Amino acid sequence: MIRLRHLACSLALLGASTAVHAGTVTVITSFPKDLTQAYKNAFERANPGITLEILNKNTVAGIAYVRETPAGQRPDVFWASAPDAFEVLNRDKLLARAPDMANPKVPDKIGSFPINDPGGMYFGQALAGYGIMYNTRYVKANKLTPPVEWKDLLAPEWFGHVGITSPSRSGTMHLTAETILQGEGWDEGWRTLLRMSGNSSAVTERSFGVPDGVNNGQFAAGPVIDFFGLSSKFSKFPVEFVYPSETAIVPANIALIEGAKNAADAKQFIKFTLDQAGQEVLLDPKISRLPVLPYAELAGKIPEGYPDPAEIAKRSKVHFDVDVSQSRYYLVQALYDQTITFRLKELQQATKAIYDAERKLGDKAKSGQAADLLAQARKLTWDPLISAQQAGDADFLKVFAGDKRDSAVSQKITQMEGEWNGRARANYEQAVKLAGQAGAM
Amino acid sequence: MSLSHRFGLSKGPMAAALLVLAFLALFLVVPVATVFYTAFVNSDGSLTFGHFMAFFNQPLMREAFFNSLYVAGWSALIASLIAVPLAYFTVRFEFRGALIIQTLGILPLIMPPFVGAVAMQLIFGRSGSLNLLLGEWFGINLPLMEGLNAVIFVEALHYFPFILMNLVVSLRAIDGSMEEAAFNLGSRGFRLFRRIIFPLALPGYVAGTSLVFIKVFDDLGTPLVLGATNMLAPQAYLRITQVGLEDPLGYVISVIIIAFSIAALWLSARVLKGRDYSTLQKGGGSIQKRRLKRGESILAYSWIALVLLLVLSPHIGVLLLSFASVWSFAPLPDGYTLAHYNAVFEDSSGMIANTLLYCGLAAGIDVIIGTAIAYLLLRTRLPGRQWLDWMASAALAIPGIVLAIGLLRTFRGMEIPFTDTMLTSSWVLIMIAYSVRRLPYALRSCVAALQQIHVSLEEAAQSMGANRMRTIQRVVVPLMVGGMLAGFVTSFITAAVELSATIMLVTRESQAPMSYGIYLYMQSPSGRGPGAALGVLAVLAVAIGTYASHLLIERTTRRQAPGRVDNTELQTS
Amino acid sequence: MKKVSVECRNISLSYGKNEILKDLDIVIEPGEFFALLGPSGSGKSTLLRLIAGFNRQSRGQLLIDGKDVSNQPPWERNIGMVFQSYALWPHMTVWDNVAFGLVERKLAREEIRERTEAALALVGLAQFARRRPNELSGGQQQRVALARTIVIEPQVLLLDEPLSNLDKKLRVQMRRELLSLQRRLGITTIFVTHDQEEAMTTADRMAVLDHGVVQQIGSPNTLFDFPVNRFVANFVGTMNVLEGVVKERGSASVLLAVDGVGDIQLPVTDDVPDTARLAASFRPHSVQIDLAGGHGDARYVWLPGLIHGSEFQGEFTRYEVQVGDQHLTVDQSHLAGLSIFPIGAPVAIGLDPGQIRLLAA
Repeated sequence: MIRLRHLACSLALLGASTAVHAGTVTVITSFPKDLTQAYKNAFERANPGITLEILNKNTVAGIAYVRETPAGQRPDVFWASAPDAFEVLNRDKLLARAPDMANPKVPDKIGSFPINDPGGMYFGQALAGYGIMYNTRYVKANKLTPPVEWKDLLAPEWFGHVGITSPSRSGTMHLTAETILQGEGWDEGWRTLLRMSGNSSAVTERSFGVPDGVNNGQFAAGPVIDFFGLSSKFSKFPVEFVYPSETAIVPANIALIEGAKNAADAKQFIKFTLDQAGQEVLLDPKISRLPVLPYAELAGKIPEGYPDPAEIAKRSKVHFDVDVSQSRYYLVQALYDQTITFRLKELQQATKAIYDAERKLGDKAKSGQAADLLAQARKLTWDPLISAQQAGDADFLKVFAGDKRDSAVSQKITQMEGEWNGRARANYEQAVKLAGQAGAM
Repeated sequence: MSLSHRFGLSKGPMAAALLVLAFLALFLVVPVATVFYTAFVNSDGSLTFGHFMAFFNQPLMREAFFNSLYVAGWSALIASLIAVPLAYFTVRFEFRGALIIQTLGILPLIMPPFVGAVAMQLIFGRSGSLNLLLGEWFGINLPLMEGLNAVIFVEALHYFPFILMNLVVSLRAIDGSMEEAAFNLGSRGFRLFRRIIFPLALPGYVAGTSLVFIKVFDDLGTPLVLGATNMLAPQAYLRITQVGLEDPLGYVISVIIIAFSIAALWLSARVLKGRDYSTLQKGGGSIQKRRLKRGESILAYSWIALVLLLVLSPHIGVLLLSFASVWSFAPLPDGYTLAHYNAVFEDSSGMIANTLLYCGLAAGIDVIIGTAIAYLLLRTRLPGRQWLDWMASAALAIPGIVLAIGLLRTFRGMEIPFTDTMLTSSWVLIMIAYSVRRLPYALRSCVAALQQIHVSLEEAAQSMGANRMRTIQRVVVPLMVGGMLAGFVTSFITAAVELSATIMLVTRESQAPMSYGIYLYMQSPSGRGPGAALGVLAVLAVAIGTYASHLLIERTTRRQAPGRVDNTELQTS
Repeated sequence: MKKVSVECRNISLSYGKNEILKDLDIVIEPGEFFALLGPSGSGKSTLLRLIAGFNRQSRGQLLIDGKDVSNQPPWERNIGMVFQSYALWPHMTVWDNVAFGLVERKLAREEIRERTEAALALVGLAQFARRRPNELSGGQQQRVALARTIVIEPQVLLLDEPLSNLDKKLRVQMRRELLSLQRRLGITTIFVTHDQEEAMTTADRMAVLDHGVVQQIGSPNTLFDFPVNRFVANFVGTMNVLEGVVKERGSASVLLAVDGVGDIQLPVTDDVPDTARLAASFRPHSVQIDLAGGHGDARYVWLPGLIHGSEFQGEFTRYEVQVGDQHLTVDQSHLAGLSIFPIGAPVAIGLDPGQIRLLAA
């Protein structure tokens, strides 16, 4: 009977394709296809008999995935930009030690940031900085000034031209946000973030949404990780990339996952990425990442005009503290989402109202009742809901570490988030009113 | 008298029914039940409504709920605005545009919506071709692709064919004498349409519109790609992927989406109950076709041209993007190249093979199960057979992401027997998810095909000595082939452009089918070109498949047209 | 071909609470052309399908050629059935349709070819072998359906309303052909129809069914002349009925007080029921009609009437005559030149006592 034949065929196919290749390394990463493809080709050429399987997930989803999969069936290698992700994994005992994989030629620190984990659980594999990418055509057409510092994006004429994403969806954005928070302090840092978001036109779903939007002219500019800016430029998009003085050079890490399926071959891969050959892959203009190996080791292979991480780290005003970042990891994400991502429309409206009022009043905005109203409006719109003190309170932070399956915990968190959300909305709406009043004067 | 004999069944149908039941139970009912369970249960196992309270406590969640309704409603409305005039033109007027309209009806369904979304950003976005030109000439900017508007726009354009096709079918089924009777009594023109024609065609309209509503309400891919995250499906996805499979809120959202979809389906079934107005009588024709006056002609063709242009815009956009070297902040690309296609052919043969494998197998399973259920439903008196039909059709109300979540949770940690691979990391689960979600389409095709076969054809075979299996083999299946093929193709092409479940279930790049591959490509600046190229290939493959099946169906139905019962001749032999 | 008998013993069939067939007892003789006659809903098609094996009885037995086949599935019964819609398979040619049963019986190719050719020749469709059913006319399709069944040399041939899809002239021709074919082949044939003319002109014997109960079994002649009850009387041909109370009952005659008409004296036979009310039944063609005021032939019982309506049917004129409170149907043979009574004309109608059957009222 025809049906039986079909069944037999599919069973055979099943068996064939799920037969485990002894030499398969599964890498879970948020890196794009260009990079992973290049590494796959280079590694497999150098190591015939081992196949590389790429599992593409954004950082946060990647962590969740590793956690969900039982030991022995997990992917082998975790490879991502955000160092705090590795801290989270480490804390949850999801990484395995492999200290002999480290390349001794790699320096200990970049700026004040340790490249490798002192405990030997994960290694810096590439370096990246954070900066602003902008579309030259858009900027020219809308008569904007090309930005140099974060503060440049906060000006009124940039309203509606900025693209951002959310720390909860993007390790890059989280790092950028933390850099700003650590560089300017909690309160001032949040003001910057809120103002920048107020100037934004959209919060994209993935970190790639920002450089993508700048590339095709959807936004004028946005915070991106350097290699997106540089590689886009190489792909002939009309864009430029700058490192502001408040930047951090942060390693992208690679680590062996605890309970991996194929630890032996995985270690080979990790070693490869840290060796000369593996580091040179990063220099391809299509990829445009900064190597951990000092330029001295890679002499002759560095392209013309390629940024030097050591230089930039020296120039940076921020000394990134990983522990601080990690302790308030979920808090920053939740606060950002509830007051910015999910309330974007209201934030934009409030921002616009303030600008409109300022423009209308001109000099009158500097003093008097109008100035008071405006100051109030600004406070409502751009001040963070949680004070710096609260953010440092250990008990407060513990709430976010609770088990979300427990409906009591889940309810508590969602209730708090709901509160913030509601308060933010009310604040923004109030700000619109006040600014309106001020403008009418 | 044995049990099977009492119900006129031999062991064959019983076994088939049990197999089908097992499939549906294991891969549909249990995963969905798991989702429901998790939504109502505490970490310690006790029942609770707490998670639902948490949901409704959050203004964000309430907003997402409202937004989903808003978007679904508006999409249905705009889709109607596009489809109803087109349907009317096709059926009422004699004109050559009819073929174009038919094609219009298929084109949007062929384009994977997330690919189309990217292209539409380029054409209709704030710095897209249209707005750049409008800005230059008139200084205005149409916010077509801002926020929820973007989702409504893309979805309406993608799903209006559902309304168009259903409406055309039910319009064509109206007996001409209905209209003539109205003429006879003095009614005509728009009044006639409003009072007679549209009410009689209402079942088709309601069927199509409710389908659009549900599909937009459930859709994950499009809002995700367009960045509209404050809707229910994206929220569920984001929560599960970020917070983990343990996060209860994701399940709560899933339950709400399902409940709503089922409510919409049930409501439309209620409205349609007892309103089968297809009244074509023997010897009757459908409503009159008229010639268009010159003015009307211009209007009609203009509307069709406008809609055609809109509908084709994603296709055009993707085509341009696939050939573009650089396209940024300009109405058209800077330059053109074949490099992207090269890249695709090098890299993606694996993905194309995967799509063929998963979708082919899934569609095959669907047709087999669909035929089995159709046969059990229409030809046996098995008690509870109606439930098989409902269960299979219920898959329509389950969003892809929910099914994926349920499958992941149900089969967590389970290995495929005899191999060392986890079910949740193997491609088998992806294929199963496709086949479960596509089953309703194949089932409807098979049921329709079997309904066309009068039971006397099978009884004749049986009285000629063919037992049940032989009858199925020699009579039923050959006559159903057209419908089965149609079901296969529909299952195949909808699976080929599926993204919601795929995103959640693909664990390795080598496992990725084309839809996921395109999504991956779109994640890097140099990937948009190849992504678009792959999208073009996907559209071409789907278009060819659809056309081929259309031809096959035409040919088989013509060959098997029921005999004329016209007896005007006297035999003289 | 061997001729077999078909016997239904105490057959009942119910669907849930619905009793479709109630305790049927029918014996069909070998080689008979037997008709099942009845209005829609009488259960005749259900019975036919039961014999074919598509329905299953709730009680009772079905015997074919003396063997109990109650538990046999349709494909084992070797019964040929021609369906009302002919049920020709559209995806097969005429040839394949006809050869189907032979293929199922796994006969040798040569034998299949021979027999199929013979069957097609028998029904006069040899040159249509390669056509598809949807290319044939209704009459041709029916012949194919017939050929298909007789080629397997079935024990019994079942025909389900075989002529109802044809127009009148074709129907007449086809029923003659059917009959002649059956005579030639000698297969026991059961056919179902709601048209009493069809049944009467072709059947050897017939059974009239009403609501699942057998009303009467007998030859067309018997049923027409000696119906056992009003249903059969009305169903098989048209019947006039004058109901009335029995005023006097004697050994040779009975006085009937007909409602709205008056007293009529009628002779009795042995089988006149013993009820207080009787129905005097007589056929339209057994009634004389003449202008009122004439001297009627004393052999008849004359009643005065008024012409209420008339239908010229060619061979005869059918009048609706008002007699007292009742309306009677009277057929008058027509010969060229005979004029038709106008509406309202007073007439006298004459009943032939010998042609009147007294039934229970």
